[in-house]
Amino acid sequence: MDYKELRLLEMLNQLSLSDAQKSEMLEFFEKRESDLAILNELDTESVERMVHVMPISTVVREDIASQPFDRDELQRGAPNAELGYWCVPRVVD
Amino acid sequence: MSTKKTIVLDDMILTKTMPTTAGSRMLEGYMSLFDAEAVTSLTEAGYEILGKAKCGEFAIDLVGESCYFGCELQDGHFVNDLCEKVKAGSIGVGLDVNGSIRRASAQAGLISIKPTYGTASRFGTVEVACSGETVSVVGSTADDCAEVLSVIAHHDTKDGTSLSSDLCDKVKVCAKKAKKVAILSSSLDGVDDEVRAKIDTFKAILEKNGVEVCVVDSDIFKFARPAWNILMCSELCNNVSRFDGVKYGYRSSNFTTIDELYTNSRTEAFGELLKSAILFGSDNLSTDNYDRAYDKALRVRRVIVEAFDRIFEDFDAVLCPACSKMAYTPEDIKNNKHLCFEENAYTAPASITGLPSVALAGVTLIGPAFSDGMLLDIARMYEEVCK
Repeated sequence: MDYKELRLLEMLNQLSLSDAQKSEMLEFFEKRESDLAILNELDTESVERMVHVMPISTVVREDIASQPFDRDELQRGAPNAELGYWCVPRVVD
Repeated sequence: MSTKKTIVLDDMILTKTMPTTAGSRMLEGYMSLFDAEAVTSLTEAGYEILGKAKCGEFAIDLVGESCYFGCELQDGHFVNDLCEKVKAGSIGVGLDVNGSIRRASAQAGLISIKPTYGTASRFGTVEVACSGETVSVVGSTADDCAEVLSVIAHHDTKDGTSLSSDLCDKVKVCAKKAKKVAILSSSLDGVDDEVRAKIDTFKAILEKNGVEVCVVDSDIFKFARPAWNILMCSELCNNVSRFDGVKYGYRSSNFTTIDELYTNSRTEAFGELLKSAILFGSDNLSTDNYDRAYDKALRVRRVIVEAFDRIFEDFDAVLCPACSKMAYTPEDIKNNKHLCFEENAYTAPASITGLPSVALAGVTLIGPAFSDGMLLDIARMYEEVCK
């Protein structure tokens, strides 16, 4: 991980770090790289991935139309909403 | 008059009548449209929800010290708000993401249970690391934990990872008495003398109660932490991507374009620890690193699950430290801002496998899936001696 790669990650995640934070983040990534070296001590090539720890199956439900929340309720926590719409800066000129 | 104890929830549990912040500026003042399933179940069972307790930002820190709304210090060390409220007489219910509830309760003279994954509904919790986080209970006694667990453990159609009623019911009983407990040699690496003494004390109490305790060689603790850090941060990165300053939550006042709105809102609202986790998680999921990090961690998860299976062929439970030291100070965080990614070495094995874990008196007990009742029974042996 270097500053250029870190900047790309910041952009992808819509974050912006200060220079001091970037240095700390690079140190953090260095430690995590050591962690990866620990994991690489294990040969897992023939091991199957385990996504779910318990035997679960996809829940299939009947399609039943419902209206649990109305628009006003859903927008109650919006930082800026008007006339039933979420307000954002203009994205098309 | 009801004799039931009151319930305090940590701020990862959604409530309709109280704000839910996840300890983050991003959700300051946020009001959920519905209650978590745990809240509904407890209310229907006659429990009074007394209020909320602060938690660390998205519950990934040590004991709540990263909460945007402040963290209490006592005698120079951090104290967990949920545990403080339990000490005042309530029973606590919270979301255990990265072990903070287990660490805090083990350090505070309380007891907590992180039940078998899938037995307590996660519907209505702030999602962080869905494949391992579990609604957990903190109490003053094992009986408190058992009582509340019996209410929140049930099948819930609203949670896709909720197990069947038959399986959920298994955690409510003690199906067998523990006869043999293992201490994994690698779990004692890095713990201080005080914690080592806690393990020795617990071991002595078990032996006095006729339980055989053996030290076993195992690398579980070496591999669980790095693998869990990868999985937790990768899932976290996706889950917090919904917080963009548009639909709900914090919005920066400093923007002219939509990209500035997103970036400045997230940058101003998220704390440094969370940003580290987001970036690390995002890196793990990138094209270059997916196979070498995320995929690898998923495979290591199976290795750890199978290692536990082998241990549980000969032993009923595993006894290990809950933390490397019995209190964390601001100096600890100053020296290592990312200490929670090291200290979770003791809690990661149960998180990554979904196995039940009981924490008390500086130690944790991990048992096979659905052995929750047996783990609480072991905890009662300790309580009997310390009465």
